[in-house]
Amino acid sequence: MFELLAIHPAASEFGQFLILGLVLGSLYALIAIGYTMVYGIIELINFAHGDLFMLGSFLALGIASGLGVLTAEAGVAWIVLTIGLMLVATPLFCATLNVTIDRFIYRPLRKSPKLTVIVSAIGVSFIFMNIGLFWRGATPVKFPDLIADTNLIDGTGLRFTWKDAMVVGITVPTMIGLTVLVKFTTLGKAMRATAQNPHAAQLMGIHVNRVIAATFAIGGALAGIASVVYGLYIKSVDYQMGFQNGLYAFTAAVLGGVGNIPGAVLGGLVIGVVGELGKAYLGAKWSEALIFGILIIILLFRPTGLLGARTREKV
Amino acid sequence: MSLGRMWVLLLFVALAVYPFLPLAEANRGEQFTILFIYAILALGLNVVMGYAGLLHLGIAAFFGIGAYTVGILTVPFLPFQQSFLVAALAAVVVSAAVGIAVTAPILRLRGDYFALVTLGLGLITLYAIRNLDAITEGTKGMNPIEAGPLPGIPDTVDMSAWRLRPDWSMRWYKYPYLYFLSLGTLAVVMLLLRNLEASRLGRAWVALREDELASACMGLNPARLKLAAVALGAGLAGLAGAFYAMALRTTGNPQAYDFTLSIIMVCCVILGGLGNRSGVLLGTFILMGFDRIITNILDNELQALQQRLNLGFGGQAYTKVSGWKLMIFGTVLILMMRFRPEGLLPEARHQRELHPEVAEAQGEAAAKIEAGETIRDK
Amino acid sequence: MAMHAMHRRRFLRWGARVTGVAAAGLFVSASGCSSSNNNVVKIVSSLPRTGSAQGQTDTIVNGIRMAMEEYNNELFGLKLVHQDMDDATAAQGQWDAGKEADNAREALADPNVMVYIGPYNSGAAKVSMPILNEAGLLQISPAATWPGLTKKVPGDDKSGEPDIYRKSGKITFCRVCPNDFVQGPLSALFAKEKGYKSVYILDDKELYGAGIARLFKQKCEELGITVLGHESIVATQKNFKTVIAAIRDKKPDLLYFGGTSQSGGPQIAIDMKGEGLKCPLMVPDGCYEKAFIDGAGVDTFKEITCYATIGGLDPKELTGAGAEFVRRYKEKFNKDPEAYAVYGYEAAKVFLEAAKAVGTKDREAIREAVLKTKNFDKGALGKWSFDPDGDTTLRVLTISRIVNGTFQPEKSISE
Repeated sequence: MFELLAIHPAASEFGQFLILGLVLGSLYALIAIGYTMVYGIIELINFAHGDLFMLGSFLALGIASGLGVLTAEAGVAWIVLTIGLMLVATPLFCATLNVTIDRFIYRPLRKSPKLTVIVSAIGVSFIFMNIGLFWRGATPVKFPDLIADTNLIDGTGLRFTWKDAMVVGITVPTMIGLTVLVKFTTLGKAMRATAQNPHAAQLMGIHVNRVIAATFAIGGALAGIASVVYGLYIKSVDYQMGFQNGLYAFTAAVLGGVGNIPGAVLGGLVIGVVGELGKAYLGAKWSEALIFGILIIILLFRPTGLLGARTREKV
Repeated sequence: MSLGRMWVLLLFVALAVYPFLPLAEANRGEQFTILFIYAILALGLNVVMGYAGLLHLGIAAFFGIGAYTVGILTVPFLPFQQSFLVAALAAVVVSAAVGIAVTAPILRLRGDYFALVTLGLGLITLYAIRNLDAITEGTKGMNPIEAGPLPGIPDTVDMSAWRLRPDWSMRWYKYPYLYFLSLGTLAVVMLLLRNLEASRLGRAWVALREDELASACMGLNPARLKLAAVALGAGLAGLAGAFYAMALRTTGNPQAYDFTLSIIMVCCVILGGLGNRSGVLLGTFILMGFDRIITNILDNELQALQQRLNLGFGGQAYTKVSGWKLMIFGTVLILMMRFRPEGLLPEARHQRELHPEVAEAQGEAAAKIEAGETIRDK
Repeated sequence: MAMHAMHRRRFLRWGARVTGVAAAGLFVSASGCSSSNNNVVKIVSSLPRTGSAQGQTDTIVNGIRMAMEEYNNELFGLKLVHQDMDDATAAQGQWDAGKEADNAREALADPNVMVYIGPYNSGAAKVSMPILNEAGLLQISPAATWPGLTKKVPGDDKSGEPDIYRKSGKITFCRVCPNDFVQGPLSALFAKEKGYKSVYILDDKELYGAGIARLFKQKCEELGITVLGHESIVATQKNFKTVIAAIRDKKPDLLYFGGTSQSGGPQIAIDMKGEGLKCPLMVPDGCYEKAFIDGAGVDTFKEITCYATIGGLDPKELTGAGAEFVRRYKEKFNKDPEAYAVYGYEAAKVFLEAAKAVGTKDREAIREAVLKTKNFDKGALGKWSFDPDGDTTLRVLTISRIVNGTFQPEKSISE
């Protein structure tokens, strides 16, 4: 297939943009799952999710600087150790933070109207951003460049580096693991039941608040993993990146049908690909407009997203 | 209600007198002008959110459309060169028209989907402004915007006999003329909305917001009502944008009309009291006043203090009040939503809906009794 | 229902109290500020003090304060005070039009303010210039280089620059740094000398970045360098992999980026390395700061050759009074000055010298005296004058290469 693409420069170029879009899209998907799971269970647009992701990347950066592993020259063993530690500590940190926020800020508002909770989430997002600002300042910070840029498919006219492989290698198993968790475990069953009808779930003996906390924990952990992957892939982090990436991820969640996990993955990939192809063929300046244009058009024809269930809103 | 009207009236009187006071400063007055403009914007958003009950996350786009309409129609290097009055009217019409045109197709979307799409439309508008260099000058901002009030009337009028204070300017778009103009416009908007609330349309919005299905069964047309609210809200936002461009004398960078502003406006409306005009006014003055005026004053004082104590300067974000701004905003929002979700000045119906929590949050003996009564009332 | 009414009344009373306090606070604060004493002379600066330009603006402020100290912080026998205003917001991470306008007005409102040093960004200058011009307050920018602020740009019949900034008919804006008429074309000349045959141009779409990119492009076309493409990026996208991948296939000899380290400069260098675009990168003075190198990472420039240009001379190349300034700066602050520190110093110095000659707190007389400055040599930049538009006659461009995390001056060209 690669040889085929190499024949025609335009085709090879298209293939390259497709690769970039899919890699970036899988990153968005990982963040989008956090949005979609929380929404599915308590119908909250968690505006703070993107900023949680940002704080996660700052922690990962702190781990790297703490260990002094800042360039690829540190040696393979150190790099593996550092990334391993990041992949354990960051999700743990994000999950704990997310659960704490839920316990003290969202849980007391469980019976309040939606808007009240959304505004609280905006408040949390502001606070997270301010913490990020104090933590690393307003300047973008270089994230250690730990993974080689060697092209794995040299000679095909395309470029797929170790970094791209790392993104796919971490995001895809994570998503598979999550699907297994939601589909086949007791917790997953309890989550689905709560999402469907919290009252009925409670009557069935499900500890709803615990299930919600678990959802926040899983969503936070995914944001943590995504933040490590993002740092290693994009190589620069700053306190405002949560907003931009959160917006894309949130859009991905809605595009796929908010509350629907495969939908979030699909939405993330669509947004990644559309955004990058837009940058390449329409110019970078139109890519955001294109993403949201497509979102609106899709919602006009499928008002509940690509994979969303066609339910009527309760009246 | 009488007291409610009283303080608003008193506030307006105080603000109207302000430029005549000996302690008045042109600089501060010009900052107040910006607050009045944001208040008009927030009132516009309140029509959409508070009256019609639609969560709108892209109001800043209409603010930007208004500002850029004025920019395009008045700057010297484009052929139009209209007066401010004409340009401001055009800004209202264009914003309202865009509001209707983009909202009509998406009305069938529900709740959060609608909110996200308004956010998206806001972003698309921003990028359109940014990228259509030929008419909007891209990111450079259109300036100078110095149109006269009406065609044919000179923009400097000799009023030397009337000029009570030396810091008053001759040009009408400067302090205090623009100050009075925007304050007056704000007052007119407030009156207009008051009458509207009591009108047939206002009551229909209430019915729609409370129960869309039931109101449709009673013969109201929800789509048309929502569109009317969006048109009015967008029009007011456009008007505010027109004044903003005039006050700044440039449209500024398109970034000034991005999602951040939309979100802060949502916060102003909710903090003040969703659906309550006076509350929205109060919310805007507090939040934007803190953002645009108080932090500046505190930072200057802090800097003077640091210099006096030879503590060094510049420093990190946490050494400045402006560095803590988001933290303060966030905390206020969270505490408000926890203890007073109906806002500082709640709208009656909205408050009743949230009443049980309020009684609990009051934490007073009286409140407990009242809460008991509420349960019995039910 | 009666109960609700009661509840409501209590809220209203509460609301009224809050408003009362807030309004009273604003009124009092307004009066508090007007009571500033008259025994001081003020220099204000309006620079982006929040965000990644802070490293650069810190040293500009240091430069201003060093100049003030040479006069023992005294002028006309009055205390000389510097007010350090910020025209950036944390929310945007860079300058904001509303903030810049506020700063200009605040400076005007204070009768003790004799000069407004700033802004840093040309786009911000567009906002404050007309405001200050009408009131006749002198403005000296240490870093805004867009030529249109002072001169008509050839081929621009539309914008009305620079007259739109000079409504009062007087000239109030001047700058001590060479403008982009120097930087854009001379950068192209350097590219030609290096033997580059083709170039791809990116810009950040800001007044400064897009402006300098256009001037660079024009000169390239004149010199016969093929321009393979010219495109604007969106700085907030934070990821230019696709843009760079598309450029890689066009195989240019040089990539030019018109923009600043706040508008995507470092990320372009990072993505060039990541996407395997091996040609050299050339950036203008908006990236001539440590924040650019730190943002991209020192190791990135081991693989990517990067040239940065700056009007005037790099601090390392200064001689005489300039070298002395750099030495004292290092002694005082324990670090190297950024490239623009010397312009902050020069701006304050040219004002102070002229004001000393005038001898009174007279904005108009000081403005005239500063703009008449000829053959000024009391600063660190050598001998220069203001031309009739308020531009410096200093017309040198230094091209540096980033080596081991520092800017190494490679060549200085003058017209």
